[in-house]
Amino acid sequence: MPFLIENATLVIFALFVLALLGNIFLIGIVFLRRHRRGKFFRRIDAMRTRYGPVVVGLLSGSIAYAQGLQELREICCPDRMFILEQLCLGKKPLPAEEPILRRLCEDLGLVKVWQQRLMGQIDQASLREALMNPQGLLRRVKLLHFLIRSKSAENLGLIRHEASWPLLVKALEDPNPDLQVVAVRALAAIQHPGSFPALVEQLHKAVVGAAPVLSVRTIKSALVNFPLQCAQELQPTLLHANPRIRFFATDIIREMVEREAEANPDFCLDSKRMNDSMAETFLTRLSRDTNPDVRARAAPVIAYLPDRRAATTLFALLEDPAWFVRLHAARSLAKPRFFSYAARISRALTDADWRVRETAVRTLRTFGPAGLDVLTEHFLLTEDRYSLEQIADEFQRAGLVPDLLARCVQNGGGRDAELLRHLAEMGKTSYMIAVVENGKGNGDLRKKFLQQFGRCPDPQIHQWVKKVAAGEPDLSVRALAQKALDGVQPAGER
Amino acid sequence: MEFWWQVFIHGMNMFNLLIVSYFFIGNGVYTLLMVLSLAAVWVYNRRLDYQGLDEIRESPVTPPVTIVIPAWNEEQIIVETTTSILQTDYPSLEVVVVDDGSSDATLTRLIEHFHLVKMDLIYRPHIPTKTVRGFYMNPDLPSLLVVSKDNGGKPDALNAGINVCRTPYFCTLDSDSILERDALLRLMRPVISSPVNTVASGGIVRVLNGCEVRDGRVTKVALPKSRLEQFQVVEYLRSFLFGRTGWDLLGGTLIVSGAFAVFHRETVIEAGGFAHDTVTEDMDLVVQLHHWAAKNRRCIQMSFTSDPVCWTECPATLKMLGKQRRRWQLGLCQTLLKHCEMLFNRKYGLVGNFSLPFHLYVEALGAVVEFLGYFMVPLAIILGMVPAMLYLLFVLLSLAYGGLLSIGAVLLEELTYRRYPQPRDLVKLLWFAFIENIGYRQLVLYYRFEGVVRFLAGSRHWEKVTHIGIAS
Repeated sequence: MPFLIENATLVIFALFVLALLGNIFLIGIVFLRRHRRGKFFRRIDAMRTRYGPVVVGLLSGSIAYAQGLQELREICCPDRMFILEQLCLGKKPLPAEEPILRRLCEDLGLVKVWQQRLMGQIDQASLREALMNPQGLLRRVKLLHFLIRSKSAENLGLIRHEASWPLLVKALEDPNPDLQVVAVRALAAIQHPGSFPALVEQLHKAVVGAAPVLSVRTIKSALVNFPLQCAQELQPTLLHANPRIRFFATDIIREMVEREAEANPDFCLDSKRMNDSMAETFLTRLSRDTNPDVRARAAPVIAYLPDRRAATTLFALLEDPAWFVRLHAARSLAKPRFFSYAARISRALTDADWRVRETAVRTLRTFGPAGLDVLTEHFLLTEDRYSLEQIADEFQRAGLVPDLLARCVQNGGGRDAELLRHLAEMGKTSYMIAVVENGKGNGDLRKKFLQQFGRCPDPQIHQWVKKVAAGEPDLSVRALAQKALDGVQPAGER
Repeated sequence: MEFWWQVFIHGMNMFNLLIVSYFFIGNGVYTLLMVLSLAAVWVYNRRLDYQGLDEIRESPVTPPVTIVIPAWNEEQIIVETTTSILQTDYPSLEVVVVDDGSSDATLTRLIEHFHLVKMDLIYRPHIPTKTVRGFYMNPDLPSLLVVSKDNGGKPDALNAGINVCRTPYFCTLDSDSILERDALLRLMRPVISSPVNTVASGGIVRVLNGCEVRDGRVTKVALPKSRLEQFQVVEYLRSFLFGRTGWDLLGGTLIVSGAFAVFHRETVIEAGGFAHDTVTEDMDLVVQLHHWAAKNRRCIQMSFTSDPVCWTECPATLKMLGKQRRRWQLGLCQTLLKHCEMLFNRKYGLVGNFSLPFHLYVEALGAVVEFLGYFMVPLAIILGMVPAMLYLLFVLLSLAYGGLLSIGAVLLEELTYRRYPQPRDLVKLLWFAFIENIGYRQLVLYYRFEGVVRFLAGSRHWEKVTHIGIAS
């Protein structure tokens, strides 16, 4: 292609020069940026050193409010807003500091600016300002205003500025997804009951909308933050025609209930916390909902209802055709008030689904010694292999084997020994051997173990006994091991 | 004779055209990615001002995650890695270490340090794996589970980890890596906030070499001493900050680094887990997930975010670098061949029509074109088919353009995360970005070419890269 060569040479030369200039330009920007950034942060650091103690003093009460406020008002520089934000919101305030911080932000005029910015009233920066610092650029370019607006919403949420909730609710309708997400979070932080319906509306949009902007998780996370009293607002949603909406509403109430229950061990859903009508909805409608997800999520709430029908309903759910409904029902029964139903719960130990069996085992374990007794009883009597495996699994995970061995040594047999023997017959001996092996100084434990299980045909035990018989320094233990070895053939070698 | 000479000349001309097209397509797409990423990462960095990490940490809705660490002969660092991972800032976290039949004391170290005992637990293999030998737990430390299994390779170990994991999401992590304390929270943010099912979320992997590590945490970030490692720092910046970000913006993510990524467990199980037939199981899984989603008409999303940081050791010697790059190239070729029906297939959207063809032409075949170009073009000059001046200018252009892309990555780092605070480090980064194309690029190209040759030879050998153990 000789006709192209000259042109091609020229084009490539031009491209080379451009690329070279591009290199120089980018290197220049890197250094300029480093220089400016250094300068900017030196100024911020100086301000922080000068005024940081004032803010700390104000929040802790060691500096008179009027005096501290006056000092902060004196800050005068091009980045005043940024510096004040850094000083006031640099670290998350403690609950006790929040009222002072709110007042401080209001008196410094920050709240007003944030509110204005949230509503899109942003003072335009000059071109010079835009080129000199990134904050200026954000204020200059309209396309980037959402960053400032979202940050303002975040700040209002951080100080839990109650009066701003209507503005934040308005922001939920903004087309920018960032602003919507931050507004949802800020509303969750403020927890004003007036904003709850707006968030519920967003939940509807997120679930049934064609192209939702907010994720269901984001809204759910916000709604569960509200006090349980607000849950009354969800009552119509609980009966919504769309099963997914019913599911999320039920799940949100469940989260609210479980959060409050966690903080209060004697928690129950009395009429002060949940009105009768809603309680009735859970007991009679949601527990029989056509959507299994709804039934599953209703179970934990029902478990806290001080109603006689609660237990009956939960046991009905324990027989549900959907495995995850049975799982949630089994998990919900792990409350002290259901201690007396331990034997009935043990039926779930033979459930067809392993996850339900596992949950039932764990539920019984939360009942303490009484639950453990039921488990042991079941373990010794049942012939259901899956159930046996599940219980053996839990005994190990929960670290019960050392206790069983210790009791076995103390009592010289009994049910504990029977249980351990059962475990050994199932081949679940690794943990036992680890306990005996680790307890080298405990001659009693080793002797008892050898007496009780030394002749067990399990290959692991046999191996261990052989090892002890060959090299144990304690001669009495060694003799017992040698005796145990006589005439025993491990299961693997038969 | 004349006929064959004509064929040769035509062949040479075609090859020269191939080189030119490779140069312009490759650099054109890279430039597009750089421009997109420069804007996107800068804006993303600003968005971090209102990221709401506290809300994620405190919310009961935040999904639990299991970190799966596959380990094979990692006795030097496994305890430090596990300790550091257990301190990760995440509300509901489990850690599963899978000892893939190590022949050293990896398992013993874990048992001794965490006082683990062997247990005979139930194993439900949703994905088939090699035989599991045992489970090790400490009832007082229920968030840690160690699985010991027969050696089956990294994908097999990861699959075993998935089988025992009980959380909806799992995070894969290399055993020689260090996570920043809040990295998992940051990595889960796109998963939580996205209205679409996010099945994979990747974070940035940075070079640990040269950094100061104390108690399983990076306490001081600095550039490594050796040039080989310094080149890799620039390479990682370019690859992650604008390569991955750019592809993510375009919706054509093909690679989520398995060194640090979160996946949706059920989806991965449905897609068949990590496959054994390629040596880059992470890339293969991502392509497989695209395949699975299109086949099952599922709307899924994959995300890449540049602020969750995982520090990892890069190869410190030429031998190790060669092993690593050969494997990457071999895995790339294997994955592309395995999923070749996705190429130019409308069903797979941007991934099938742009991302995969680009990776095939520029990343996979490009290694051959570029490598052979270093021999063929001088031959063409000798034969008088290409003017020497044009060739020289073309070489200079490719060097200057390569430098531009690498310096762009350093600029992006400086505009956003600025992890290398020392001015001396910045100067070094710029210098190495500028000279990366003289020597280092050719070296890596040679290893990549070797990778292609191994692929053509049908190799499936996994070359293990051993590290010097900085994390410890």
